[in-house]
Amino acid sequence: MNTIGATLLRAGRRFVSSLPALFGVLVFTFLLMRVLPGDPAVFFASGPNAGKEEIEVIRRQLGLDKPLPNQLVIYLADVGRGNLGRSMMTGQAVAKDLRERLPASLELTLTALLIALVSAVPLGVIAALRPGSLVDHGVRLFCSLGVCVPTFVSGLLLIYVFYYLLGFAPDPTGRIDIFTTMPPQRTSFLIIDFLLAGDFEGWSAAARQLMLPAFTMALFVIAPLARITRASMLVSLGSDFVRTARSVGLSWWRIVVTYALRNAILPVITIAGIVFSTMLGANVLVEKVFSWPGVASYALDALLVSDYAPVQGFVLLMATIFVIVNLLVDLLYGIADPRATVA
Amino acid sequence: MARDLLLRVHQMSRQVFLVPDFETNEGTGAMSFEMSKRSLFAAAALLAVTLAAPSAHAQSRAETLRYVTGATVNTLDPNIPGSTREAFALSMSSYDRLVSFGRKQLNGKWVFDLDTITGELAESYAVSADGLKITFKLRPDAKFQDGSPVTAEDVKWSLDRCVSAPILGKAQLLTGSLTSPDQFKVIDPLTFEVTLPKPDKLALPNLATVYPIIINSKLAKSHATADDPWALNWTKENAAGSGAYIVETFKPGEQVIAKRNEAWNRGTPDKPAAFKRLIIQSVPEPATRANLVERGDADLVIDLQASDVQSLEGKGKLKVISTPQYNAVTFISMNNTIPPFDNVNVRRAIAYALPYDDMFKAALFGRGAPLYGATWADGKPPSGGYPIPQPIKLDLEKAKSYLKDAGMPDGFSTTFSFNVGQAATAEPMAALVKESLAKIGIKVDIQKLPDAQMSTAINEKKLPFFIEGIVAWLPSTDYFYRNFYTGKQRWNYSSTDNAELEKIAQEARFEADKAKYEAQGKALNAIHFDQMFQIPIWQAAQDAVMQPTVDGYVYQFTRQVDYRNLSRK
Repeated sequence: MNTIGATLLRAGRRFVSSLPALFGVLVFTFLLMRVLPGDPAVFFASGPNAGKEEIEVIRRQLGLDKPLPNQLVIYLADVGRGNLGRSMMTGQAVAKDLRERLPASLELTLTALLIALVSAVPLGVIAALRPGSLVDHGVRLFCSLGVCVPTFVSGLLLIYVFYYLLGFAPDPTGRIDIFTTMPPQRTSFLIIDFLLAGDFEGWSAAARQLMLPAFTMALFVIAPLARITRASMLVSLGSDFVRTARSVGLSWWRIVVTYALRNAILPVITIAGIVFSTMLGANVLVEKVFSWPGVASYALDALLVSDYAPVQGFVLLMATIFVIVNLLVDLLYGIADPRATVA
Repeated sequence: MARDLLLRVHQMSRQVFLVPDFETNEGTGAMSFEMSKRSLFAAAALLAVTLAAPSAHAQSRAETLRYVTGATVNTLDPNIPGSTREAFALSMSSYDRLVSFGRKQLNGKWVFDLDTITGELAESYAVSADGLKITFKLRPDAKFQDGSPVTAEDVKWSLDRCVSAPILGKAQLLTGSLTSPDQFKVIDPLTFEVTLPKPDKLALPNLATVYPIIINSKLAKSHATADDPWALNWTKENAAGSGAYIVETFKPGEQVIAKRNEAWNRGTPDKPAAFKRLIIQSVPEPATRANLVERGDADLVIDLQASDVQSLEGKGKLKVISTPQYNAVTFISMNNTIPPFDNVNVRRAIAYALPYDDMFKAALFGRGAPLYGATWADGKPPSGGYPIPQPIKLDLEKAKSYLKDAGMPDGFSTTFSFNVGQAATAEPMAALVKESLAKIGIKVDIQKLPDAQMSTAINEKKLPFFIEGIVAWLPSTDYFYRNFYTGKQRWNYSSTDNAELEKIAQEARFEADKAKYEAQGKALNAIHFDQMFQIPIWQAAQDAVMQPTVDGYVYQFTRQVDYRNLSRK
């Protein structure tokens, strides 16, 4: 009990100490957006008759007529109050947009990560057990393919085969078939909400919708995870304690899983944390191909039209998630290896 | 047994989710005789779901229009600065205007007709003999979606708002001499009068455009605040109109779902719209949109890639209606104030050095109406319309001699820009332009700009040579010339400053005599060709791809679908 309390305390302290970094990210993004060429007011004043006056109106609405330092102070004050500004693109508050879209991205990314881990770790272990064998080469080929085929290609390919040709998959348009009624919103994770509502038909519809994009993303990240697992397993299988375990005649399972894998898992956790953060922000292609209403495609659309507020909000959100994920990874270290602590 | 059960579950799940037809009944029944009691119970439960779901599903599906688009509806009030074209299209169905455009056939395809104005909320209208007063009689049976009657007061408030609030409608109505609330008068609850300072033929058509929506003024006023007297923040997310469809779900960037307004009778046959439900869904990937419509999951899409349209048309399973966007023009534009494009001979040289046919095939797969390659008898424009095909074609010898006249026989270097959003068509065009101009010694550097950056650079008049397009809701010759060839504003891409052109265009605006107007149009076209301010190259087709059962599609001035036109055969 005491150790958990101490861990939490240390985790809290770690989080607080990362706040200056978040602040830096906030200011940097703010300045970067304004340095980039492209005037949002001109872009959004694009009706067939929009002239100078309309551009000025939008500029005033966005507060772009004020000097830069003033804009920054106003923005920081707003963020402090939890107001991330308003998106011109969707016409909604950025905080609301992100709140609605983050669960979609998280649901997809977590599922993909789960699929990736469940397939990558055994693949890596098998490859490490028989290095140089046919199995090892097979795994290597699979990983290379996964990594070198861009996600939008594999995504379109999967759609073509499973939706267009075979008809197994539902139409790739977002989180849920448009004719299905949404469950009452509790966690915003559809597959959990449907379970809570006891709507199994809906659950299955949501899960089926999730499969293709999740596999597309998983394919891309299986490679780094499997390679790291393999490398790290090789080291740990060749170490003294495994030789000792073998010599005292422990069962195969105990040697590989309890001793070797547990010792090999630390780098895998580290990579998984990084992979997760990257996937969340960089899965924009998958989101686009599957019309997934996530945060990454939202940010890309905003960036293309120089819509400042959503991009700033997105970067801040990603930075925060990155901090939290790293913290979680550190906590997991403690579980995987009791010698490691959250420093 | 376990295998049996697995098989059964598999088949049932297929029935529940994939085949919404009526064979399910038979299939499940035939299988059930060898089931144990427990699985029988489970099967019965599933069967109940199976039977109930698909029939309701199939029925509602037939009465639903599912429209997929790469863009998104971002506001429910089309007047909000930044509104997208999809937002315009939705507002045509969620709101009514006083009047609307009729339709006509152009080369066998239905398009909107600027010259036929029919009543929408107005039962009838009358223009006074001097053309200065338009009187509207409102439909006595028209009701807003909340059930309250539409009165002349609502019309007055809505139009006042359109010309006074800082919204998009203001600049649009200006083009029809509608500028001040003083021009709008309530005569009695069902009679409304508009006064004009001059007889302006665009006044009435302007009231049929997207912006002058008639809003439930009581409802909107109850949401107005001191900072926001016209309730813009509220109408952005709430529709308060009397239109054919009632918005149920509005998720910007994802979808809009609307149900039919049963009380609406403003369509031509005086009955509600045909589809019970309307789903407008954003699907960013064009290949996915093509798959959806080909598989029959989507009913209609208008923004596919030309190559996909080509192949879908070839397969012959779907209905493809291609209409040249006759109120839009794509240009290769030159800034007439930036050297060397300030030299008319340089502009002429470019006009004869472009590989028009190759560009048309590579960018549009030949889908559209070309504006090049015409022959003008004795070098005079054959018509006063705009745009008309120009007598220009690829002729490198001619181009070289113009370059010599310009004093640049060895050519020069320049940049050629287009925006990322147009890349699918503009990228192959740019490559061809570069290749062809190299032959007369002009070195072109291709510049691909993000959309916002491109609009900014055009607005600041910084680009020398680029691809851009224009669109006019009310496509008349003087309107095009006044808006796209005069003034220091964004839409004057070529930065044209020609006193004669401006004078004729301004005169033409209020010219009531048709023959004189035609002569003015010809004069304008002649100046345009002589000075070659920019090069109109084509009018791209709008390719509407739909299920064969979808009927009634009309090309609209918004370049979007008017959902009220559509029905299922």
